[in-house]
Amino acid sequence: MTVHTPTRRWDPLVKITHWGVAAVVVVNALIVGEGSIAHIYAGYTLAALLALRILWGFIGTYSARFSSFKPSPSRALGHIADIRAGRHEVHKSHNPLGALMAYALWACLAVIIASGIGMAGAPPAVDASISASEFISGEYGEGSEGSEREESQAEELFEEVHEIAVNLLYVLIALHIAGVAFETARSGKRTITAMLPGGK
Amino acid sequence: MTNGAITTTQRGDRRIPVVVAIVVVQAIAAVFFIADAAVDITAGEWGLHILAEVLIALALLAGVALGAWQTRRMFETAHRNEQALQIARGAVAEIMASRFIEWRLTDAETEVALFALKGCETPEIADLRQVAEGTVRAQLTAIYAKAGVSSRHALSSLFLEDLIEVSTDKGIFGKGAPPEGGDAN
Repeated sequence: MTVHTPTRRWDPLVKITHWGVAAVVVVNALIVGEGSIAHIYAGYTLAALLALRILWGFIGTYSARFSSFKPSPSRALGHIADIRAGRHEVHKSHNPLGALMAYALWACLAVIIASGIGMAGAPPAVDASISASEFISGEYGEGSEGSEREESQAEELFEEVHEIAVNLLYVLIALHIAGVAFETARSGKRTITAMLPGGK
Repeated sequence: MTNGAITTTQRGDRRIPVVVAIVVVQAIAAVFFIADAAVDITAGEWGLHILAEVLIALALLAGVALGAWQTRRMFETAHRNEQALQIARGAVAEIMASRFIEWRLTDAETEVALFALKGCETPEIADLRQVAEGTVRAQLTAIYAKAGVSSRHALSSLFLEDLIEVSTDKGIFGKGAPPEGGDAN
């Protein structure tokens, strides 16, 4: 007698934080102006989503915990060998390559958030005097340029790091989508449906 | 039976995303409060205002942690229920199969018996199997005779009886309760 137990790979918290980060990144890239108040808020929202996901990595469900997908280059190489040989191993969490991608994305996001907060400071207060277009595209903090030289140097460094990390993030996202597309072609559409609402 | 079971598990599942969504909103609020409090503290503006901010931030953080913990427990319970349901389904199927073999039902009778136990009416069974109602009625009579019962109701009771016996052994009527009642305290 075989009892078929469908393993649900991603829990709602993983899904919501995943799509939350994706939505913030896309909306920010397409609509929100660089250095606007909305941009700063987007950064803090990302910080919250990332922090929650990391907390979940310690106390979450089995497949969401870091201990289920430890970063391991040797296992990643083994996984590549599996792909070459056409072997299909079942992974209850991320596959070893996917795990590396997840850590890379999180590290990249952390650098972006940290450098962004380094530049912008606390989330600016929003009151009725700020119009919607100003909120979304107006440059925040342009007026306060009379700061000391040291601070502006630090800010330049943050800006540099921020830009490099953001470009790296876009590269990683492209690789992530390519990886998912490849895995879907290789192992079936469950790779994608596992991350969709209601999917298993 | 199947429909009812699915809705029961789905009801448990549907609550989890709601709790998670609340946790996410709390987490975002907590981050904004912490950032605000941190800036105020570095600016050296100590006072009741900051104390309130820090308290709210801590309360939100505690809410996030508890919410996350609760989510995990709900998720695990839902998962366990699903597994229990699978096992129960398997057990019912197992009991049915062994009884059907014991009674020496033919293949056609086995199918009719399954439909009957699933609650299908005679015309429905005839429709599903594309045979005349009279045939189904005759097959049902044969099934009852082989099972030693006189009605469909008695037939399903046979299985229910087995399951209830098994259940009380495993203590479903009081998880964790001692097998012998009475002399507690």
